[in-house]
Amino acid sequence: MVLQKKICLLGAFSVGKTSLIQRYVNQLFSEKYLTTVGVKIDKKQVTVGNTALSLMVWDLAGEDDFTQIRSAHLRGLSGYIVVIDGTRQNSFTVALALHERVRTELGQVPAVFALNKSDLKDQWLISHEQIRTLAQLGYPVIETSAKLGLGVEEVFMGLARQLVPEKVN
Amino acid sequence: MDSFLSSIYRNINLTVFVREQGGQFKPCSPLPDWLVFFLAKQSDLGRYNLVEAFPYLSCFIEDAEQHWQAKYSKPLSSGVWIEIDELEHELPLEACVMWVDGQEVLLLQQLGEKYTHDLSRLQQVRNSLLTQEMLESEVKRRTLEIRKREEEIAIKLVSLTSLRDEETGAHVRRIGLYAAVMAKALAWNAEDIDTIRVAAPMHDIGKIGIPDRILRKSGVLNDEEFNVMKKHTEIGAAMLRGTKIPILNMAADIALNHHERWDGTGYPRGLADEAIPMSARITTIVDIYDALVHERVYKKAIPEEEALNLMREMAGRHLDPHLLKLFLSLLPAMRRIRLEVQEVNEEAQEGEVLEEICV
Repeated sequence: MVLQKKICLLGAFSVGKTSLIQRYVNQLFSEKYLTTVGVKIDKKQVTVGNTALSLMVWDLAGEDDFTQIRSAHLRGLSGYIVVIDGTRQNSFTVALALHERVRTELGQVPAVFALNKSDLKDQWLISHEQIRTLAQLGYPVIETSAKLGLGVEEVFMGLARQLVPEKVN
Repeated sequence: MDSFLSSIYRNINLTVFVREQGGQFKPCSPLPDWLVFFLAKQSDLGRYNLVEAFPYLSCFIEDAEQHWQAKYSKPLSSGVWIEIDELEHELPLEACVMWVDGQEVLLLQQLGEKYTHDLSRLQQVRNSLLTQEMLESEVKRRTLEIRKREEEIAIKLVSLTSLRDEETGAHVRRIGLYAAVMAKALAWNAEDIDTIRVAAPMHDIGKIGIPDRILRKSGVLNDEEFNVMKKHTEIGAAMLRGTKIPILNMAADIALNHHERWDGTGYPRGLADEAIPMSARITTIVDIYDALVHERVYKKAIPEEEALNLMREMAGRHLDPHLLKLFLSLLPAMRRIRLEVQEVNEEAQEGEVLEEICV
């Protein structure tokens, strides 16, 4: 039996949501920033223990003053990945706001925080204190680089593992 | 079907569906070629499950149901989503639902150039936002660098006076930290909190202009000597004034006014109440507290409770009663600073305390 699960990538614009999906699903990366308008859905089959999962990965347009995530997009959500660009302070604030919004609308749902652009770590503006704050929320916090493919598998699998009920596995 | 209408549908890449009982959608306009690819897997009975063909619609169909049930004729949009066609091209799609002549209608449109245009506009806006964010970060980074340099200069200035009078390095550091705690409790902005932390320790910098015979005299000063000693407020202010550096401006205010008294009996100008700058009123309180509870070569330390009683007696006369009340409410933080910032390993200790203030 294959369990179908809807997961979303959330975050400010240009944090690398589409790049992480591209790297995970198609093993591709492009340096060029192409903004996402609308929603794109990709599929990926994974196995957690003995359980086969079909992940429906929803790539939502980044949040800013011009684009807001629709509540309808969160319907049927099984889990989500909040993406933060380590080089941009603003993306941390947006991430926390989005996380709070999902919690308000859906309650406790499996989640993972991805601290993206770890290949640019010497330019990170996110402080250790902020990373500690994230960790205290009780969700996995994983450093990723869509460019180098670092941590990408771990982020998606970290979420996938939370989606499989223990008794099933 | 009217060929005129069909032509319009084709030109705007729009397909009209009517929902039938059972939830299947029946097209009422010709299926464009691009759509055939997505519906090909389904039966050829001319009725389609659009949610199965386009999983994105699963999040929209609930709203669509409500819209149809309410019989709204105004279109309700699904928002844009992207599908990949048989040529691996991205197709931007949008659905709209409405109630027309007793029928549940769904319009499916391939947005084409309209989408490309919107995308390009948004791309430009976001590129400028990214540039703006980057510039703001750079400005912030450089401002911090400048501020750090200003702090270094200020600390060097303070160390000059420490060479001549009996005040210790730890004392001046504590004064800054106490003052910062007060400023934070008063909801000053982060920049001003940082400014008073560095500016308050410079309150006695004018003592550099006081002759040694007076500054280092172990006995009580006579009137003439005291009048000379009083000058350190004005000397300090004159030393610090005249720049555009906020830390030095505040330091000048503090240096000039930290011997003013709430009841107007202080010096050098006899200012009273709120005419005395708040930065100076804060510094006066924390300076007195620290001086009382620490030993000097010319006096012994007194127990904190005794010091606090003395300060309470000064409320409304020497000290601003409101700020003193605030100071007393912050005693746990003040005690931590007092106990942790001692002569040994001052910098490390200050760093730890500072981190807590900033948090």
